[in-house]
Amino acid sequence: MTEESHRQRVLDFLNILYSGDVEGALARCTDDIESLANAPIDILPHMGHRRGKAEMREMWNAVRARYSELRCEVPILVVEGDKAAAFIRVFFRKSSNQRMVQFDIAGFYTLRHGKISQIREIIDTFDLVQQLLERDLAAILTGRKPELI
Amino acid sequence: MTEHSLWRFSRALHRAINERQPADLETLLDEEVDWAIYGPIDMYPFFGQRRGKAAVMEVIRQIADNFRVHRFDRESIMLGVDTAASMMRYSLTALDSNKPISLRIAHFAQFRAGRLTSLRVLVDTFDLVEQTVGYPIHLPRMAV
Repeated sequence: MTEESHRQRVLDFLNILYSGDVEGALARCTDDIESLANAPIDILPHMGHRRGKAEMREMWNAVRARYSELRCEVPILVVEGDKAAAFIRVFFRKSSNQRMVQFDIAGFYTLRHGKISQIREIIDTFDLVQQLLERDLAAILTGRKPELI
Repeated sequence: MTEHSLWRFSRALHRAINERQPADLETLLDEEVDWAIYGPIDMYPFFGQRRGKAAVMEVIRQIADNFRVHRFDRESIMLGVDTAASMMRYSLTALDSNKPISLRIAHFAQFRAGRLTSLRVLVDTFDLVEQTVGYPIHLPRMAV
């Protein structure tokens, strides 16, 4: 498969996942899909290491349940062979109070036979936690006056 | 086969940080380089967005003043014609406290004529902050 087709597969996967179509995203993954996203599990207990479609479905459905609207932008996508790396800007609207959460993800993908078989993510987790809690944690830690999040 | 621009940039970057020899790095930055390390800027003033060679060199000086790189392992790397992305694990020492810090970062680089024109760096920042303050930050557990 060409790198161009892998590029399109990853873009399609991300657009489907971040439109909230969990089953559509799973259809683009191998049965033994593996995912690892480092995040504080106190606040994001559904994240961490997941293996297989059932665990991925549970994780993505947990995210889907919290947000009424999801979308993403992919300003950077680098593909080499069967691997791809995407800089993803994600926009989620909280179901609880309709506030928008926006954060960036570095997603690293391995493809096998045209499907996603491995996902590794690095997230600006401090910013994400501040937005989820709607609290200026940096102010608490540094002792400065908090700003509105 | 010509060496990819990433390798020269990587060598020069580590030389600038660990040996405080920034000259090589300076020659590899585009005059209008667009640079961003995402994270809490009031805790790490060298995070954030910068534009231009002088601003980036100042960031590198600040990083060199605060950290020493002991080791880095590339866990994943992709090279395009003028682009590169990699995920790395860094082992650092914070120079003010002599504390070891281990962190995972991802970067996306864009080059033109061998010079860096754009760099985006994402760090697992919550983990970094906890290591810096030296204790776990207790957060309320959210319902899934």
